[in-house]
Amino acid sequence: MQIGKISLHKVKSAQTNVQPNNIEKNQLATNPFGVSFKGNVIQADVFESSKQSIGKNISEKSKLFASAVVSGINNFNEAFKSRMNSVVSFGKKITTNVFDTIERIGNTEVKFDMEGIKNRIFPDRQYSVKNLTNKPVEELKNLWSELTPTETAA
Amino acid sequence: MENNKKIRNIITALGEHKDSQAAIELLTEFGTNSPDDEIRELTAQTLIKKNTHESLRVVLISKGKGINDLSARVAMASINELLSLKDKTEAIKILDDTIKMHSEEEVRNTARSVRALMTFS
Repeated sequence: MQIGKISLHKVKSAQTNVQPNNIEKNQLATNPFGVSFKGNVIQADVFESSKQSIGKNISEKSKLFASAVVSGINNFNEAFKSRMNSVVSFGKKITTNVFDTIERIGNTEVKFDMEGIKNRIFPDRQYSVKNLTNKPVEELKNLWSELTPTETAA
Repeated sequence: MENNKKIRNIITALGEHKDSQAAIELLTEFGTNSPDDEIRELTAQTLIKKNTHESLRVVLISKGKGINDLSARVAMASINELLSLKDKTEAIKILDDTIKMHSEEEVRNTARSVRALMTFS
């Protein structure tokens, strides 16, 4: 009986000693699923299920695959953004050049020496009767002199 | 374009030029003194077509020019042009004055012949 009493007392005291520690643990763990571990709180459920699912390996693989896909998407987004930036900057440059060109064209005064162009295309055009009739006689005299230099000198 | 063709065009342009007096002077200076028969012929025809007192005097009374040219071709072309004129009044008047007053016998005889042709044309 004595042994039994002692043992019962020890058990009770042990129970009373244990209770504050449990309360303290419960106070530290704000996340009902979280467990304090050396000051760090693991937010995720890291406990393995007692029941090992058949598709555990498959799910892990799918997680890895999903992770790879996500990282791949991130990489793609970055590459896409950088390329889009270069495309946008190229478009802006082209637009600026086009506007500059249009402005330059607008400010450029274009003059055509139509008489000179016609005379170059048709070198004998200045000797057409119509053209000669509109020239002053003094100019016709010079043209005639150029055509017969030896005759006029004589 | 050949030089001769260019000169021909210049002569034709001078025949249609507004500055008639200057054109006649240039035709007289360059055209009637040209060594080329073709140029002299065309010049004489152009001067006759102008049908002014100044232009007709050059081809009718000047020795060696127009109807008095040594080249028969030039002289005949000048006479034909005179005969083609619609208004021959000024030409006949100059020819009459030449027949009466010109110092050169040869020029007077030529003028007389052309005057006779013009009378019967």
